[in-house]
Amino acid sequence: MNEEKAVKKYIPMTETMFFILLSLQQEQHGYGIMLYVRQLTNNRIVLGAGTIYNSLSRLERDGLIKALSEDDRKKTYITTELGKKILHTEAKRIAELYKNVKSLLG
Amino acid sequence: MKNKKIVFFPAFKRVVPSDFENWLENMALDGWHIERVRQWSSIIMIFKKGKTKKYRFVYDLQAVPGKDYIPTYEQFGWECLGRMASVYIWRMEYSGERPEAFTDNESMVGRDKRTIAAVSVSFSLFLLGALAATITAVFFSGSLSAGDRNQLIALAVFLIILAILLGTVMIYIYKRGKQQEE
Repeated sequence: MNEEKAVKKYIPMTETMFFILLSLQQEQHGYGIMLYVRQLTNNRIVLGAGTIYNSLSRLERDGLIKALSEDDRKKTYITTELGKKILHTEAKRIAELYKNVKSLLG
Repeated sequence: MKNKKIVFFPAFKRVVPSDFENWLENMALDGWHIERVRQWSSIIMIFKKGKTKKYRFVYDLQAVPGKDYIPTYEQFGWECLGRMASVYIWRMEYSGERPEAFTDNESMVGRDKRTIAAVSVSFSLFLLGALAATITAVFFSGSLSAGDRNQLIALAVFLIILAILLGTVMIYIYKRGKQQEE
């Protein structure tokens, strides 16, 4: 998938996708992603197995992440260059939202 | 006292995934347990009487699951009871907060969409079959005996009824999904 199509498909991004992509800045498997996101959000977001499996399948199919290794049927993933670009685009969008809200609320 | 309960067409009576899950959970609360789910479990399910257990069940349709599908669920503590057609049934005993496999709206909607897509395949096949039988009965009636033509018409009517039933099921799952979203 090229960048333009990926931007159309993923921006704005769901919280689930955002945190999965963010956690895959380093190599992780499904359960590791859940632990990372849970810690990062102080238990606010606890991702389930079905949600993680389907999200990873979709992100891998679209080229935003890639599988690195497969030990004992456990696949580990990492963000691709395209995934990083999309994550940065989303981060910029969130920063702009924050800036606007801050100026509005003072 | 009976220690075995047989339920016919359980998956056809509860076509919405969450309804099927809740029904299995209530059965377990009443002490009725399934040990394995097999290909024919959508037609017949055999429960054995045991202790009351608090289980969370998950209905997940995966037509072509990847190699890491089962390990991913298992890492989270889910037990795979087996699959009926393309539907995997997972179970986890719990106390306190009810565990969830689908934790955001997108993946819950996605699960229902996969179920609707699977039903739509059978729907299309029945509709095509009905169309083929009707065309043959109408346009090739000269080369058919009266008995053969009647049989084809009966087949077309039967397939149309099945297609209507499946169409209704698809609409029902879709509407229930929308209600759950709200």
